[in-house]
Amino acid sequence: MSGPDATLIDEVNTHGWLPATAAILALVGIADSVYLTAHHYTAEPVPCSIIEGCEQVLTSGYAEIAGIPLAAFGAAAYFAAFSFALLTAYGYSNLWRLFGAQATIMAIFSGWLVYVQGAVIGAFCQFCLLSAITSFSLFAIYLFSWFRGRRTAN
Amino acid sequence: MNKQNQKKSGMPIAIIAIVLLLVVGGGIYLVTTGKQGTPPKANTSTSNTAKTPGIPANAPLGAQPPNQAGSPTASVTVEEFADFQCGSCAAANPIMSEIKSAYGSRIRFIFRNYPLSIPAHDKAYDAAVTAEAAGMQGKFWEMQNQLFTNQQNWTSNPNYKQLWNEYAQKLGLDLAKLQSDIAGIAAKGRVDADLQRGRALNVNSTPTVYINGVSVPFTEMKVDSLKRIIDAELEKAASSAPAAKPAAENTNK
Repeated sequence: MSGPDATLIDEVNTHGWLPATAAILALVGIADSVYLTAHHYTAEPVPCSIIEGCEQVLTSGYAEIAGIPLAAFGAAAYFAAFSFALLTAYGYSNLWRLFGAQATIMAIFSGWLVYVQGAVIGAFCQFCLLSAITSFSLFAIYLFSWFRGRRTAN
Repeated sequence: MNKQNQKKSGMPIAIIAIVLLLVVGGGIYLVTTGKQGTPPKANTSTSNTAKTPGIPANAPLGAQPPNQAGSPTASVTVEEFADFQCGSCAAANPIMSEIKSAYGSRIRFIFRNYPLSIPAHDKAYDAAVTAEAAGMQGKFWEMQNQLFTNQQNWTSNPNYKQLWNEYAQKLGLDLAKLQSDIAGIAAKGRVDADLQRGRALNVNSTPTVYINGVSVPFTEMKVDSLKRIIDAELEKAASSAPAAKPAAENTNK
């Protein structure tokens, strides 16, 4: 292998803290998503609250796809990101690119969800925002490693 | 590369498997404990009394006279604070209707407007004013019912006021008077008075229901649970009535 791909992997190998940090962050995302998924299945109809918009978001039509809570998809995505990051940290460096693809898709989707909360529903859910911050951070970690890899190549 | 090979082991697979187990186990635990975690259904009256603050005597009275059903002198007062754009309030509406018809004059049922000031409820205040304006033609409850029943239709419709007019027409209201009452200060004043009372009681979500001044937890907002609380209050009132009457007579003398 040569070019930016090789240097990206070298970068990850040299800076093992990048995938390790990503794995820990992904764990935060998993916990958040599992909590939201459980809330979806257990919560009774929720009252409308004056202090936060969380319930408006969680009971909106955007909270599920084909009857499956969006948070469950989030948990699966975070779990995949966690697995890729952890395996990378343990030396399976080629998986870092898969992590990057996963983190990019998650960040784009999170961006759209933040837009939906602000512009369509008109309310924000703090658990959903935490998830967005987590996925943006995963993407930022990948971008950081990618840029450093390119700089090393140059 | 050596370092990389040394790192490769079954360890990450084991960690991933453990995390997967924790995720699945944790999820199942949260779902099952969440379902078990709903408050016990028995003995609700006493638990409510212990857990929730009552209405302070000096709280603003709200709109006078309030929008009320049943008997104004009943020993049990059910007071609901609701927002016409709140989905849970619309869901609670048939429950409250059933309570009203089941108890009739044995309770006093009061509806308080409590439009939340949040972006998602941008039409709630106007809806409350419209219901009050309909009330000025003696059709508050009918309009309240229309607004809740058709909430899904008007809440996302840019021509929602047109829909409200259609409901008013269906109820046989004088549209010109309705519009003039909506524009006037009396209907708004009533909504504002209810809001003032709700704020003084620290109502921060809707629907919030008080039974004889004690807030009912949202999880108890079901016909059976409400009936249990109301029955307990009626029983309490019935058992204390013979003792209270002579006391009242003595003080009059």
